[in-house]
Parts: sequence; C-alpha cells; structure tokens
Amino acid sequence: MHFKAIICQVMSREMEAAAPRSPHSVEIEVLTMGLHDLGAGMRSHLQDRIDAWDANRYDAILLGYGLCGRGTEGLRAGATQLVLPRAHDCIGILIGGHERYEAYFADHPGVYYRSPGWIEFQAPGQWLQPAQAAIKSTLGERRTRAELVAQYGEENGNYLFEQFSAYRRHYSGLTYISTGVPADEHCRAQARAEAEREQWAFEEVRGTQVLLEQMVNGDWNEANFLVVPPGATVRATLGNTVVAAQ
Amino acid sequence: MVQFQDLYDAIVTGDAKKARAATESAIAAGIPPMELISSSMVLAMDEVGRLFEAEEYFVPELLLAGRAMKSAMELLRPLMIAAGQKFATRVVIGTVKGDLHDIGKNIVASMLEGGGFEVIDLGADVSPEKFVAAVQERDPHVVCMSALLTVTMPAMRTTIDALKNAGLRERVKVLIGGAPVTTEYAKEIGADGYSDNASGAVSLVKSMVAA
Repeated sequence: MHFKAIICQVMSREMEAAAPRSPHSVEIEVLTMGLHDLGAGMRSHLQDRIDAWDANRYDAILLGYGLCGRGTEGLRAGATQLVLPRAHDCIGILIGGHERYEAYFADHPGVYYRSPGWIEFQAPGQWLQPAQAAIKSTLGERRTRAELVAQYGEENGNYLFEQFSAYRRHYSGLTYISTGVPADEHCRAQARAEAEREQWAFEEVRGTQVLLEQMVNGDWNEANFLVVPPGATVRATLGNTVVAAQ
Repeated sequence: MVQFQDLYDAIVTGDAKKARAATESAIAAGIPPMELISSSMVLAMDEVGRLFEAEEYFVPELLLAGRAMKSAMELLRPLMIAAGQKFATRVVIGTVKGDLHDIGKNIVASMLEGGGFEVIDLGADVSPEKFVAAVQERDPHVVCMSALLTVTMPAMRTTIDALKNAGLRERVKVLIGGAPVTTEYAKEIGADGYSDNASGAVSLVKSMVAA
C-alpha cells in the first residue's frame, strides 16, 4: 500500500525510524511544531495539507498527531481515509498509548514532559512559543521578556512575562520520554539540565515507537487508532476512545 | 467626573499605577466604593471585553486590565468590608486537578473582582475534594472551573459528581471554561454554563445569579 504520512515535527525522528521498516511505502510530510498554539487555526492548517494530497489516491493518509487540544477535531477525510492515533497529544503517542499516558499523568501531577523532538526542535528558552516565527499565536503573546518589555514597557512587560511563565513554576518534575532514537542521549542530557535549572525532579520513562510502527504497517487496531472513512470527520469523545469518526 | 474617567482609562489601558492613583483620589473625594465600581470599573471591563471581541485586544491586554482592576479593588475592598458591605455574589474559581495552566482563570478572577464579586481563587491543580471543601466552607453562589488540557477535562465531570455526592450540587451554579472546553461538554457533564472568554464568563456569572 501507499501511505502519505503528515506528521508533527516533534515525532519526525521516531517516524523516520519506523517508516523504513514498513512493508508499505510511506511518504512523510513534516509540519513544523507548535500548530497547537494556533487553536482553531491548527485544524484548517492540517486540513489544507490533507486536501492537497487527497487526489493522489494514497491508500490512507496517516496523521502523526493526537487530539492536540482539539486541533485535529473536525478534520475531514476527502476521498482518502485518514488514520489518527487515539491519543490526547504527542506525549500520549510516544509514551505508548492513551491508557498508559492517562495512568502516568494521574500518578505524576505537576510534570513537564519532554521527548527527543521537544528538545531538538525547540530553540532554548522558547518554551512559550512554537519554533517557527511565522506561526502566529492566537493568544497574541510575544516570545521573550525583551519583546514584551519593548511592546508594553518595563513594568507591564515584566509583569506579562511573569504571568506567561508562571505555570512553569507550578511544575515540580520533568519526565523525559526516551524513544530509542539516536538523538536520545543528547536530548536526555539536555532535559536533565533543564530539570536542574528549573529545580524539577528528573525522571525518564521508556517510550516507544510501537504506535508509529503499527500506523505505518497498516496495523490500525481499534484500541489505538481511529480510521476516518471518506467523507467522515474527527470528533473528540474525551472518554476511553479519545476520538471517533462521524 | 474626572476621577471616574481616569480610573476608566487606567483600566482600559492596563495601567495599574494610574488605576491605583485614580482610586486613591476618588476615595479621598468621598466617592462610595460601589459607585466607583458600578460607574467606571464595570464600564471599563465592558469596553475591554468589546475590544477583545473585536480582536484589538488579546490576552496580554486582558491581563493588564485585570491587574489594573485588582489594584483598584485592593484599595476599595477594605473600605467595603469596614462599611459592612456584603458582596452580592461569591465565586469559587480554580483550574482542575492535574492542570497547572491558570492565565485564563486569573483573567476571569480579576474581572470578577473588578465587577464587584467576591472571588475565592483556589489556584491550579485543584482536586474535586478541594472544590467541595471550598463550597462547604465558603458557601459560594457559583463555582468556576478551568482546564487547558483535554486530558484534564474529565476532572470537571469528577468534580461535579463530587459536589453531587456531597449533596452540594443544587446549592451552586457550575460554570466551565478553557481552550478545549465547549458548550456541548458543559451539557454532557451537567455544568450550568460555559464561556469561551473572560467577559463572557462575567456576564454568565451575573445572569446565573440573577436567575
């Protein structure tokens, strides 16, 4: 079979490792990280890409995304079926599935998640903003303290920076999801250094490429994948299935 | 009056220092706090909401306006309490269990304060038990819950269930908000309302209480 995979940059290394092992042909299109910051804009951005390939008669368009804050809700399959992992977000995919994610999340409140892609494709200090400047944030936020001060003045600018970065101070731990890619060693070290800087407890969780492997292998089991037939759209269920097609 | 316009302008432009100064002048001039709130702060808040709807203001401007309102309220609240003024409505607000995002919640909290409500802000990562305890201890009219992650949204349902189990559900109106939250979800979990923006939330609180 021929697949087109449209994936978030955050999982590009893992996908690039999984795809060559598939018996099927997998063409990968990588979209820049941070689309989830666009809010409703994420959906139209992704839909444009899906529509662009729809007429090419792929057997399926595979999406390297989760629900992503509802950014993938409303995506519509044209003539080509879509395959979407049942996951709230990339962490859910890389940690090994939404059940494992929800269990870990519930047991580890106050944890900031990193995976190789989160380290590799985000410039240092840009944790408030997507990696690519061209992506406009719906919240109208500026990136750095300097930019906020330049726009709003010393006092208000600093206040805003404190407000936007405050949530990071609520966190007490950093969990690095290792996924078995060569970048792991370097990224783990960076994640550990970040944890030390922020005074967060560091933990590593062995993640997995398994879901991506299943996706490129065409093993779209009901437990882990939503297959959206032509003409149907993605809907969030938020329950055990995370997403459904309607 | 000039003081009122100064306070109005200070809030709309997000100038906390000027808001404080204008409030001090008004207090010195003997303006009753509730008059100040209803004639300038509420109007300022309405204008800020309008500018946000018109996409001229974004979250930073809301944060700054909220801060300006809070700095005015810091001066007015002690006077109101000393005068035995009862706040019309008590609101408990918090971000749900597992969720540490609180910017939107903070904006709503400061706008509610600016609107003359008594706000009990429980912070972020608030368990159902903590919401229940706050309802028991503080007897609010409204409970507002916020979540930014789809993975923490189910905690809104658990909290409403916890209120039911404690026999408190009928005593409060429950409103929910946050980027991934929707009206449909509010209906699904038995919340009383949903808003996708801060001034909408304030209007909703007002209408819930008036009803």
